[in-house]
Amino acid sequence: MAAALTSQLHALVNNMFATGLLDDQFQQLQMLQDFSAPDFVSEVVTLFCDDGERIIGELARELDKPNVDFDRVDSFAHQLKGSSASVGAQKVKNTCIQFREFCQQRSRDGCLKTLDLVRTEFYDLRNKFQAMLQLEQQIQACYPKH
Amino acid sequence: MGAAAAAAAAVRVLVVDDSPVDRRVVERLLRTHCGDGSGDAGAAPFHVTAVDSGKKAMELLGLEGRRRKQLSPSAAADADEQAVDIVLTDYCMPEMTGYDLLKAIKALGSPNSIPVVVMSSENEPQRISRCLTAGAEDFILKPLKINDVQRLRKCSGARPKAATGDRDNDDDDRCSNTVISSSRTKLQPSDHTAKKVATPEQKTSHLAGLAMVMNASSLEVTHYFQFIFQFIFKFILIAYAVLCLSQLLHRWSNGSFLSLWCA
Repeated sequence: MAAALTSQLHALVNNMFATGLLDDQFQQLQMLQDFSAPDFVSEVVTLFCDDGERIIGELARELDKPNVDFDRVDSFAHQLKGSSASVGAQKVKNTCIQFREFCQQRSRDGCLKTLDLVRTEFYDLRNKFQAMLQLEQQIQACYPKH
Repeated sequence: MGAAAAAAAAVRVLVVDDSPVDRRVVERLLRTHCGDGSGDAGAAPFHVTAVDSGKKAMELLGLEGRRRKQLSPSAAADADEQAVDIVLTDYCMPEMTGYDLLKAIKALGSPNSIPVVVMSSENEPQRISRCLTAGAEDFILKPLKINDVQRLRKCSGARPKAATGDRDNDDDDRCSNTVISSSRTKLQPSDHTAKKVATPEQKTSHLAGLAMVMNASSLEVTHYFQFIFQFIFKFILIAYAVLCLSQLLHRWSNGSFLSLWCA
């Protein structure tokens, strides 16, 4: 059972790397996890998902205003780009870079279209992260602590 | 005694970043790469305090400053849990940026000014130069890597230690900025004598700082010199072309146009 779950987990993570969802920064995070911080990756991923959702909400609110403050929008996009880079969320990071270009151009339509793309990619990544964490929990449950 | 000595030798880092993800990652990176398996056995561990804004960082540093005034140096070294050896701050933060925090720390004018390292996800030469000129010990690109931890450790030894000599082993690894060292020398020459900051160390730090500045901004300097040389070259070309043209016009006006080809 544990072997099957482990195999599923490896396949999921490998797929995330292969499709460009993740880059080698995520591997760096995995290397930082050890017995002294066994839940480090889970903590960081959870922080990223929560923070990312908050930022996307802020972006939507800002772009919904009649007078868009593009500097503020750019600031939020920068935040999301930064946290994406820190966890290795490559696709989200690259889309945030595009987003910022539209902010520089003061293009509301461009920002809105890119926000949709960011949202799609973020939620896709979040779903896969949640699946990954569930598999890890199931694997840990197969090895009860003494 | 051993544990107390180890705790006293820890490098106390104040991490300032508005991103909870980055704070967690940097904190873990610093705690992990303190010596075990990082090829730096015996290096002092990092004791990390993380805050989410420049304002909170200033509050913490201000509190630390007030405590130090009340305590004797030896008591402060032992008892001050919020003492900071180095500040690692993100550049882009709301309200008070990392650059603002850097300037605020350096504006205190203390000869024992806390070393500040700035980190950013943006590789902008102007931003890097600006921070180094303002007194930052180093500028690190995010996301941080393992070798950045070593740079941070070296920068933490840039601050002159007045009392205990716990950092004697780090003196050789200072990475203080040339501009910082020059400005400190200009502002507090008498304090250097009183604070037992040896001139040879400052000279070493000057060279180390120059190397660090050149390393950190080498791309910018190269581009800058390239730009200057290209400008001078183009200017000479244009000046020569104008000279030739004026000669041509002069001869033409004198009716000796055909003689140009014979000359």
